[in-house]
Amino acid sequence: MTGAIGKPVPLVDGVEKVTGRARYTADLDSRDALVGRILRAPVSHGWILAVDTARAEALPGVIAVVTGQDCDMTFGVIPIAMNEYPMARDRIRYRGEPVAAVAALDAATAAQALELIEVEIEELPACYTPAQSRAPDATQLHDKKPGNLEREVHHTFGSVAEGFAEADLVCEEMFDCAEVNHAQMEPHAALAEYDPEEERLTLHSVTQVPFYVHLMLARCLGMDTSRVRVVKPFVGGGFGARTETLNFEIITALLARKVGGKVMMRLSREESFVTHRGRPATQVKLKLGLTKTGRITAVNCEVVMSGGAYAGYGLVTILYAGALLHGIYEIANVQYDGYRVYTNHPPCGAMRGHGTVDVRHAFECLLDRMARQLGLDPFAVRRANLLTAPMFTPNGLMVNSYGLDECLDKVEAASGWATRKGSLGPGRGLGLACSHYVSGAAKPVHWTGEPHAVVSMKLDFDGSVTVLTGASDIGQGSTTIVALAAAEVMSIDLGRIRVVTNDSVITPKDNGSYSSRVTFMVGNAAIGAARAMRAKLVAAAAKKLEVEPDEVECEGETFFVRGSSQSVLPFQDVAIAALAEEGTITVKGTFSTPVEAQGGKQRGGAVGSTMGFSYGAQVVEVSVDEATGQIDIERVWVALDCGFAINPLAVEGQIEGSVWMGMGQGLCEETHYIDGLPAHANLTDYRFPTIADAPPIDVHIVESIDPLGPFGAKEAGEGALSGFPPALVNAVADAMGVDVNFLPVTPDRLLEAMIKFARTQRRKETMT
Amino acid sequence: MSEAMAPFRLIRPASLDEAMAALAVEGAQPCSGGTDLLVRLRKGLLEPAALVDLTGIAALRDVVCDESGMWVGAGATLATLARNPDLAAYPAVIQAIDSVAGPTHREVATLGGNLCQDPRCVYLNQSHWWRKSNQFCLKYRGDTCHVAPKGNRCRAAFSGDVAPALMVHRAQIELAGPAGARQMPLAEFYNEDGAAHTALQPGEIVVAVHLPPPGPVSEYGKVRVRGSVDYPLAGVAVACEPTPDGLRFTLAVTGTNSKPLLVDIPDPLGEDADAFFAALVKTVQKAVSPQRTTTIAPHYRRLSVAALAGRIARRLAADAP
Amino acid sequence: MGQGMKRVVSLKINGREVEEVVPDNLLLVDFLRDRQGLTGTKTGCDGGECGACTVLVNGRARLSCITLAASCDGSDIETIEGQAARGRLSALQRAFHQHLGAQCGFCTPGMIMASEALLRQNPSPDEAAIRTALGGNLCRCTGYVKIIKSVQAAAAEARS
Repeated sequence: MTGAIGKPVPLVDGVEKVTGRARYTADLDSRDALVGRILRAPVSHGWILAVDTARAEALPGVIAVVTGQDCDMTFGVIPIAMNEYPMARDRIRYRGEPVAAVAALDAATAAQALELIEVEIEELPACYTPAQSRAPDATQLHDKKPGNLEREVHHTFGSVAEGFAEADLVCEEMFDCAEVNHAQMEPHAALAEYDPEEERLTLHSVTQVPFYVHLMLARCLGMDTSRVRVVKPFVGGGFGARTETLNFEIITALLARKVGGKVMMRLSREESFVTHRGRPATQVKLKLGLTKTGRITAVNCEVVMSGGAYAGYGLVTILYAGALLHGIYEIANVQYDGYRVYTNHPPCGAMRGHGTVDVRHAFECLLDRMARQLGLDPFAVRRANLLTAPMFTPNGLMVNSYGLDECLDKVEAASGWATRKGSLGPGRGLGLACSHYVSGAAKPVHWTGEPHAVVSMKLDFDGSVTVLTGASDIGQGSTTIVALAAAEVMSIDLGRIRVVTNDSVITPKDNGSYSSRVTFMVGNAAIGAARAMRAKLVAAAAKKLEVEPDEVECEGETFFVRGSSQSVLPFQDVAIAALAEEGTITVKGTFSTPVEAQGGKQRGGAVGSTMGFSYGAQVVEVSVDEATGQIDIERVWVALDCGFAINPLAVEGQIEGSVWMGMGQGLCEETHYIDGLPAHANLTDYRFPTIADAPPIDVHIVESIDPLGPFGAKEAGEGALSGFPPALVNAVADAMGVDVNFLPVTPDRLLEAMIKFARTQRRKETMT
Repeated sequence: MSEAMAPFRLIRPASLDEAMAALAVEGAQPCSGGTDLLVRLRKGLLEPAALVDLTGIAALRDVVCDESGMWVGAGATLATLARNPDLAAYPAVIQAIDSVAGPTHREVATLGGNLCQDPRCVYLNQSHWWRKSNQFCLKYRGDTCHVAPKGNRCRAAFSGDVAPALMVHRAQIELAGPAGARQMPLAEFYNEDGAAHTALQPGEIVVAVHLPPPGPVSEYGKVRVRGSVDYPLAGVAVACEPTPDGLRFTLAVTGTNSKPLLVDIPDPLGEDADAFFAALVKTVQKAVSPQRTTTIAPHYRRLSVAALAGRIARRLAADAP
Repeated sequence: MGQGMKRVVSLKINGREVEEVVPDNLLLVDFLRDRQGLTGTKTGCDGGECGACTVLVNGRARLSCITLAASCDGSDIETIEGQAARGRLSALQRAFHQHLGAQCGFCTPGMIMASEALLRQNPSPDEAAIRTALGGNLCRCTGYVKIIKSVQAAAAEARS
């Protein structure tokens, strides 16, 4: 280690952010662009009989109008489940679905034009819940999807019946978790430019996955991929909202091609909510078997997800939900039944902690309740089920490093659990939960056989090092990680390195920022590139020093013979020598996942597979207002095993952010539809916590040093999220004696639960 | 570029007389800090021909305190009032002001604007696309109240924090309009109608609020999901003062009805305090009528605001001299 | 833009005198972003809900997305672009950078401007005062922990 990594470093693109110089998509120069705007469906479900755009097209200032008829290709992120058109063609499946779009000289004209487009619709009955969608007489949303089942999964590992027979205590409960949205601060936007002479398209967008956007643009516009260029400017957060191509990106491109020029599309906050792709409303029926000592003998889990109108990531979400029952505790017998159901709501997708959050919630709540019945401490029951790495789980997931035991120790000590639990006084309580998450999917959704990540590097006459990566920094600090990895391996100053990101004509392809893959995969690729560059420099230094390359050391921008302090060559001299050999030096590094990491043989077994899991434990302290049901989060103690903290400052930031986002889902965030119309589509009614609600978060980093991770690192940005909601519910139980089975625990729901609980208690008392 | 607002003319009078003249023109709409109005304009919830910006009228910003009480100009900003030492003698008012929206709103939001704040409803405070998809509503461009389809009035909920606090301190409101000036108890300024919730006549504006000399102790409590930004799901101001018969309580509730509601507590605190406060809670529960105007259930708003009222009343009674 | 009224406004933006013809219904945020090219000020909501557009008008924090440009005639406006002096970061900018008060950076300009307004009125705010002053500025990345820390660090630096 030469000192670039393992210490807190501000983001390499941070100065641009604090000065306002950072340009996000909506900030790009659009003075010569037309204004794009989308007409959205007024009904939840219906046949489009006719779309008449004549009056809109005749409006002065309107340059182009496009409708579903302008694109007959579907798009989607899963190659076998692309069932969505950029604009509805013959059928509308949710309120707010794009139907047509205009490009006009200014915003007022564009808005006026939308009013002039006439859409004739024959309404169909709509389904808003899985129960409605699965009813025998429900209208089928998609062909070949009877019962409106997008995907069902049935996985059994071990012998579940024997497992339950072995148990001293078996409990089953049902949990209902509301749908949530990413609500990243930056509303969606895209800037598309089409040059009809060159037949080329350039799209700037808010995406986390420029590569997937590139593929879908080419597909939907019928263009050769070589004629498409996708650029990702600064992105104001994603959290999964932008891990697949979104309809407005394709619509903006369609408009740009039709006008033969440039179109800027800035969606409103409401439209950003309607574009959705959030975490689906999920019902989890969970049954656990425990021995007296707290060993988990069997798990039976049934999950029903309300997926919205289109496939999106749906089948991955429902597979993740089952797969990640594994990999955190030693469990031999697991049965999982998952149902992803279509409804007439905006499509769900991937959101931070993709697939695992609601199932982990149910699991950690039920485990706590059963421990209570068995007279076991919440820490003890979890310690009774720890894994021993390295190992493979029954469903084929590889676990190479495991720091959950240390996480538990840390939060137990820091929270003062032993002395404080049970002695906080009325209305106050402590709750514990554990969680984990993947460090990148070992098999990408779009399988090509290529390496998962490629990083190129250039050294030139000026002595500067340019690193080229397609990895999408969306605020998580991935660009900084790439720079730090290069600086560490080459032992050079961070200031010598510039990282160029996300322009498909310049940077190597990258699958994008999702499933916490970037640090692990791109970090390893960056290490590979830096090693290749270092080898070239070492060879040049060896030649100058007249020794063998393996005798040369490099440290602090100098090269020298090991064990000798005599001849020390500065970086600049070695670079000049190396350049003399071959001119501008370009190298690259790649990362591919090992076969054994790619999951089990069962259908869908690749989902959940990863090179390494992060592990987290957290304790939440609450105080509950008995009169209003309002919960105050007093403090949170969290420990996360991220393998190794390449940049501890960023790791802390990620853990704090994910704990806090878990708190939002636990306390107050949910979507709310009125006959398919989003009543939550603004930042007053979609209530994510404000600074007034933000608790102190005491972060502990645990480093288990993963054998495959870059410098031992694993993911840090998602794992802690799913621990919060169950720790909250367990703390509320500790404070008030009430077990609640819903998320979010809003004051109204909690008050109702407390009233019901009090009534039941009174009845019990009168009976005895 | 944000969604363009319908065009209007901005008029910036420097005096009350100029303002009165500007407001006499058809389609003129008074505007102060704009924290409520500009949002509604952006959503296309009104299309005035002219906005009359009252913030340039110095006289409306005056705050005078003397033996007759406090005279607070309608143009005083909430941020200024929160720092006013004289207003500290009316604790509920300061607490209510501090709980309005966020600090940046309070920088420009005025007392008059807050008192006139448009009632809110989940079917109303939405985009043009949303409301059009839902055939609009009784309050604006439609003919049905989606909250109570069988009724014939708008059920939007008054959601200002400050009005109830002023009401329990028996504030008077002073208006000026084409027909001259008039004054009334603040409680009488409001109507139980979300589409016409104030007594303001065309061309009329709020000039000031008059508070009698400080007397009762008071407190404002707000039911909200988040600690900042949120409108009150419900809010209650409670005032308490000694009388020869015992402690008397005055209550006013916001967020549950189309107007801020004075809740009458006929009897003073008697011997059996527990029974008294239990009855007070029941009285509040019965008096309010929250509707499905927010995504949070009406029943909860009724229960929680009543519970809060009871708790505050107990606290004030305990602290009473 | 329709046929609304227009007027000439004279104002100062980041110390520079500006005179422009603006329609009466033009929002200050659009005036700054689209007419002045000052895109550091962000739009994160559909009006008055997130604080990303916070600028200083005559030294006080103001939501530029619910402020009319025409009503700022004669005002002194400061945006994030005017905070650094000769390229050197302001105390708040430096603190937000060093303490990771900015992750994605989208709420950051508004956060820094609201914090700037606070520190000018109260150079030594306690944590409660910081929470109150930033109560209208939403952030989705940080959980606000490092934002509070950044403001505290900037205040400490200014004091030293």
